[in-house]
Amino acid sequence: MSNFIQLVKNEQMKMYAQISTWVMLIILAVLVIGFGIILKVDGGMTQQEAPAGNEWREALQAENEQIESEMEEGSGFAPMNEETLAKNQYRLDNDIAPSGYNVWNFVQENRTNVSIISLLTIIVAASIIANEFKWGTIKLLLIRPISRTKILAAKYTSVLVYAATMLLLLYILSILTGAALFGTNNFSEPFLFMKDGEVQEAPIFQHTASQYLLSSVNLFMMATFAFMISAVFRNSALAIGVAIFLMLSGNSIVAFFMDKEWAKYILFANTNLNQFFTGTPMIPDLTLGFSVSVLAVYLIVFLGLSWLFFTKRDVTNS
Amino acid sequence: MSKAVMQLKNLKKTIKNKPIIKGLDFEINSGEVFGFLGPNGAGKTTTIRMMVGLMSMTDGDVIIKGHSVKKDYKKAVQHVGGIVENPEMYPFMSGRKNLIHYSRMVPGVTKERIEEVIKLVGLEKRVNDKVSKYSLGMRQRLGIAQALLHKPSILILDEPTNGLDPSGIREIRAYIRRLAAEEGVAVIVSSHILSEMEMMCDRIGIIKNGELISIQSVNDALQQSDQKEVSLEAEPLEEAQIVLNEVIEGNVLLNEGKLTFTVTREEIPGIIASLVSREIDVYSVTVTRSTLEDKFLDLIGEGAIE
Repeated sequence: MSNFIQLVKNEQMKMYAQISTWVMLIILAVLVIGFGIILKVDGGMTQQEAPAGNEWREALQAENEQIESEMEEGSGFAPMNEETLAKNQYRLDNDIAPSGYNVWNFVQENRTNVSIISLLTIIVAASIIANEFKWGTIKLLLIRPISRTKILAAKYTSVLVYAATMLLLLYILSILTGAALFGTNNFSEPFLFMKDGEVQEAPIFQHTASQYLLSSVNLFMMATFAFMISAVFRNSALAIGVAIFLMLSGNSIVAFFMDKEWAKYILFANTNLNQFFTGTPMIPDLTLGFSVSVLAVYLIVFLGLSWLFFTKRDVTNS
Repeated sequence: MSKAVMQLKNLKKTIKNKPIIKGLDFEINSGEVFGFLGPNGAGKTTTIRMMVGLMSMTDGDVIIKGHSVKKDYKKAVQHVGGIVENPEMYPFMSGRKNLIHYSRMVPGVTKERIEEVIKLVGLEKRVNDKVSKYSLGMRQRLGIAQALLHKPSILILDEPTNGLDPSGIREIRAYIRRLAAEEGVAVIVSSHILSEMEMMCDRIGIIKNGELISIQSVNDALQQSDQKEVSLEAEPLEEAQIVLNEVIEGNVLLNEGKLTFTVTREEIPGIIASLVSREIDVYSVTVTRSTLEDKFLDLIGEGAIE
């Protein structure tokens, strides 16, 4: 076991000795901070001040009355209005004042950057095996008294550690940037959400953290996919290309085959686990359990193929 | 010599129905430098790759210190250090980091050992530079350093003097000899620079088209061909030729103002003495040794790749 940790340390050392890894970290940092600055300078909604004192009650009541009258007329977007109505009512009942645009809104908006991390992780996962072949260092790497399985596992672990580092960086940097630019008032406000037609309350920290984790399911699957292509074909360009193409076209693929019976078995129909917690699934008869099982099967297939090709094939020049 | 540390047993490799290695059987003893000689495409690298487990074996086995590479890979390969083909290192890391990287993959390599190895190959001054700035010779040294980290019983070096300058070649050669003599390491060297092999190796195995066609000790090889071709520059030439015809059995040829003939090494002083006693001025005597190179070409013949 201790030598497995040594192997992961080796992989991390090689990763961070390369300039490209640092460039990726910097890209992410620039995106988060730049996005924050643009919002601050240009944003209409971020400038909104939270109503002071007891004024918020009047404001919410006014909003609710307006929504109700809209609903009577039959105009407006009904489900969303109902939700706002219910949430506003919940605030009034429980004396929870709404806050203006604050650090947590910023953190939630930065969740979209998880797809940037997916992109960068795909690049890392695709290179970690293929590059050893490109550099020729694979020969020196494999003539050690360590099984190929262990080396492969160390490389995969290293990719996951990298992805986790990037996610943590994104999360912490979002909080720091958000706090610096938009203030920390109502830092511990609860998050309100609708579940089964009722308003629920959850600590905001827990909510945002779990949202980030759920969003990284797609990242995790695509990184594993790129890792597999890299292990099978020993070519990083191919692995990056195919993985990014699939990542970008995933939703269209599901939409295209939507009416087919086997559509629910497509990887991308199941990667968005957020749909089970907030919102409705893309394909109606999907459940969380089903999706998790499908994902597990894909994961086993990806890793199995990587293992088979990495451990069984001869190391030659081509 | 002492016991075999590596045994090849009927080792075969077939790729896509084409036999690449057609059954190799030989042993390498501790403390000897074994030369692996053959033309390009003969199967040297394939054999080396099978020895260290980079390629699977179609048939046969390699036994290292009693452990089968096929069945007990980890135990077998922990006695082996090597460079397979070029000494490829991570270009973006320093020489020292490269060594640290490999040291983590074998148990029991201390920091002191890393420093020791760096000193051994003479890289002290440049070890903190990135490998991308190294010359080929320096990479070769780093490659050897990496192979020696865990004090292996068998050192496999593919073209170890490739890219080294003459003084570097001499150093490496002396170092390989010392490792074999003092620490009892078996060294397997592959090369096609024959004169190099002659100076470095105890035994040489010649491989052609996947078959071992000859194994012989270097001393034997040289003794077998102990007739030397000698060319001589003297004045007056005609008289010298007459004298030579008297003392030598074979033909004496006059060629571009030089006399050439074939004798054994022991005969040469006598020949010179008799020339001098007849008051013939001898300007130069050159021995063109009949070396391994001729032997090698004799053995493998022309058009080596099938």
